Amino acid sequence: MKKLAKLTAALAMIGLLAFAAAGCGGGEEKSAAATGDMVKIGVTNFADSLEPTDNFFGWVVMRYGLGECLVKFDDKMNSAPWLAESWSISDDKLTWTFKINDKATFSNGNKVTAAAVKSSLERTFAMSNRAPTFFEYASITADGQNLMIKTTRPVPTLPGMLADPLFIIVDTSVTDRDYAKQGPICTGPYMVKEYSKAKAVMEANPNYWDGAVPFKHAEIPTIDDPNTRAMALQSGEIDCAVNIAAGDLELFRDSDKYNISEIASLRTVLAQINMNEGHPCHDPKVRAALISCLDRETYNKVLLKDTFISGKAPVPPSLDYGFDQLVDPNTYNVERAKQLLAEAGWQDTNGDGYVDKNGKNLELDFVYYSGRAELPLYAEATQSDAKKVGIKINMRNVDYNVLDPIRQKGDFDLCISNILTANSGDPEVYLNWYWKTNVNGSQPQNSTGYSNPEFDALSDALAVEFDPAKRRELMIKMQQILLDDGAALFFGYPKTNMVSKTTLKNANILPADYYWLTKDVAPAKL
Amino acid sequence: METLINGLKTNHAFAITSFLVLLLVVIALAAPLIAPYDPLEATMQNAYLAPSAEHWFGTDKLGRDNFSRVLYGAAYSLSSVLLLVAIIFMVGTTLGVLAGFYGGRVDVVIMRVADMMISFPGMILAIAIAGILGGSLFNAIVALTVVTWTKYARLARSMVLKVKKRDFVEAAIVNGGTSTHILCRHILPNILPLMLITAASDIGAMMMELAGLSFLGFGSQPPAPEWGLMLNEGRQQLQTAPWLMFFPGLAIFITVVIFNLWGDALRDVLDPRQEE
Repeated sequence: MKKLAKLTAALAMIGLLAFAAAGCGGGEEKSAAATGDMVKIGVTNFADSLEPTDNFFGWVVMRYGLGECLVKFDDKMNSAPWLAESWSISDDKLTWTFKINDKATFSNGNKVTAAAVKSSLERTFAMSNRAPTFFEYASITADGQNLMIKTTRPVPTLPGMLADPLFIIVDTSVTDRDYAKQGPICTGPYMVKEYSKAKAVMEANPNYWDGAVPFKHAEIPTIDDPNTRAMALQSGEIDCAVNIAAGDLELFRDSDKYNISEIASLRTVLAQINMNEGHPCHDPKVRAALISCLDRETYNKVLLKDTFISGKAPVPPSLDYGFDQLVDPNTYNVERAKQLLAEAGWQDTNGDGYVDKNGKNLELDFVYYSGRAELPLYAEATQSDAKKVGIKINMRNVDYNVLDPIRQKGDFDLCISNILTANSGDPEVYLNWYWKTNVNGSQPQNSTGYSNPEFDALSDALAVEFDPAKRRELMIKMQQILLDDGAALFFGYPKTNMVSKTTLKNANILPADYYWLTKDVAPAKL
Repeated sequence: METLINGLKTNHAFAITSFLVLLLVVIALAAPLIAPYDPLEATMQNAYLAPSAEHWFGTDKLGRDNFSRVLYGAAYSLSSVLLLVAIIFMVGTTLGVLAGFYGGRVDVVIMRVADMMISFPGMILAIAIAGILGGSLFNAIVALTVVTWTKYARLARSMVLKVKKRDFVEAAIVNGGTSTHILCRHILPNILPLMLITAASDIGAMMMELAGLSFLGFGSQPPAPEWGLMLNEGRQQLQTAPWLMFFPGLAIFITVVIFNLWGDALRDVLDPRQEE
């Protein structure tokens, strides 16, 4: 009798649990966008501040529809008018004149004059050590709606450079704002109401200068975990998700319910290799061995289910900079890797499975963060493949916010990032940032100690070259040097995506992924 | 020891659970013999295979055999949890006995520190400590030790205080027995059974906490085949490769249940109050 009672109780408990579990699934399909005044977008967010000149936080200001630049990139990466309606260059190739759109206003109603833009650009140069890596100016002058920027030497891609979110135009006449928490006063369709790294609550900018703003309210919750983001979209908690992970994309193939906007991005996932004195990768043979022991094709085709294109060169094949003609000397070849290590004097003398020299194992610190699903996967795959040739990879999972300081300090052997390669419309800035010789912090991103005079010479020639065909040739040569030097580990090129419910329209991902919530993202039914 | 053997003969629950515990230990020890594949060997072409005759529990994101990883995980998780419980048991009991036996300042210092530790929520404190030290199995064990030793210290202290008043201890003192002699011959044997029971029934809970820390990324690091870590790795593929979460989860569940039942049965056998 007692047994029966126990059994019944157990069954009842199981029944209750099942009931509770079923309850969790209920209440879906309540779409916020259906009401027409609210949109919710699930994203990954690395910024705990909205100060556009700090770190890469300007990206968030632009992605969230808060800030705008003088110039934007269209879907072919051409520079297109934004706050500037047109621009021209003087005959001596030193002075650019931008005509600021006469309609443009800040969200507080102030007019965007050339003087305001000048003050904003000067603020950026004063506050960011990254600004001078784009260009250096001799003077900026304002005359009504005309802004003249005189550079110290010819800068062929200046308009494209001003499209970088670092150069978001802010109203500097407003001084009583905490930029980090309230964000600057900008010109975008939305204004921030509350901001934390976890969530941005925004409302429409009543003074928006470029047409009606489609949503009264917008919320951008940070859902860093890709799987949770996918589930949030499935459950209707959000209307749109940026970057659904490789494996989960197939869950959204039903075109009646979801729009998938997917493109081959302009990004490269690469690991910088620290080749400073004292690091094992100082030896080019070790670098070559490391790169050639990795089966990058399988990582991208199998582990990432073909949502990445296999890596080879610095610039992805989506940009026409000679991807197919470049030759990677370090293609997948385990035997060659082993031989190179042996030539460099690394042998497994103590039989622990790892090669050693002077009593020390070949160990590399691999710094990564898990905000992007592919990074830990590449890191682990690297660890596993490197072990096969006797290289020990120590994984260091860090928060994104400490990644950039770690990178700038050079406190790593391998440091993986997912990097946009065409900040100024072409890869010039990107190539300089990561591989041009860092003289006293002139290239803060290049802390690896990489320095090749030949590369620097080409870079200097590129800086003043206006002819697109010649620029392309120069950049192809620069890339080949990097490949020959084993300057970095190019894992792959992501296809990026934005998946939205069909209740939204124009939620499209563009090659330059500064533009997520734009004025064009609107309810489908209105 | 005699009680234990008697218990095996008379208490069926104890006999059965002891057998299961033994089975677990054997599986853990024999993992290298049973496992069909190397748990760390990645055959990346075979990533995300569903369970099949070749890979009983499927394969994970790097094409490693999930069954082999779960088996090796038994060795890994069991040995680390037993080590953890052993450390906590030794540290906590020693400090508790010292506090209870010597009293006075020693007692005050040890017990106030213990009080301080108790005033924090345990798991949160463990996460904080492991977070500060950085993620590794060793640090996770340190963190959990720091958080959990107080329980043993308090228990040991209260029992020492009780035993100290018994006649045979007084007699030993009158007879001029040294502190060490009294501690080892008269006090420890009297408190050990209850301490052991507590430790045994804690194994399950500790396993959960250790797996929890690994799941959060504060414990074992990739590529270790640790169950908590495997759960975390499988979480990314919850919808497309559910077997990666299911089997490690099942393994944790079964192990924890077995150890909890065994702990209960052990108490039935050892606890003197039950005999009276």
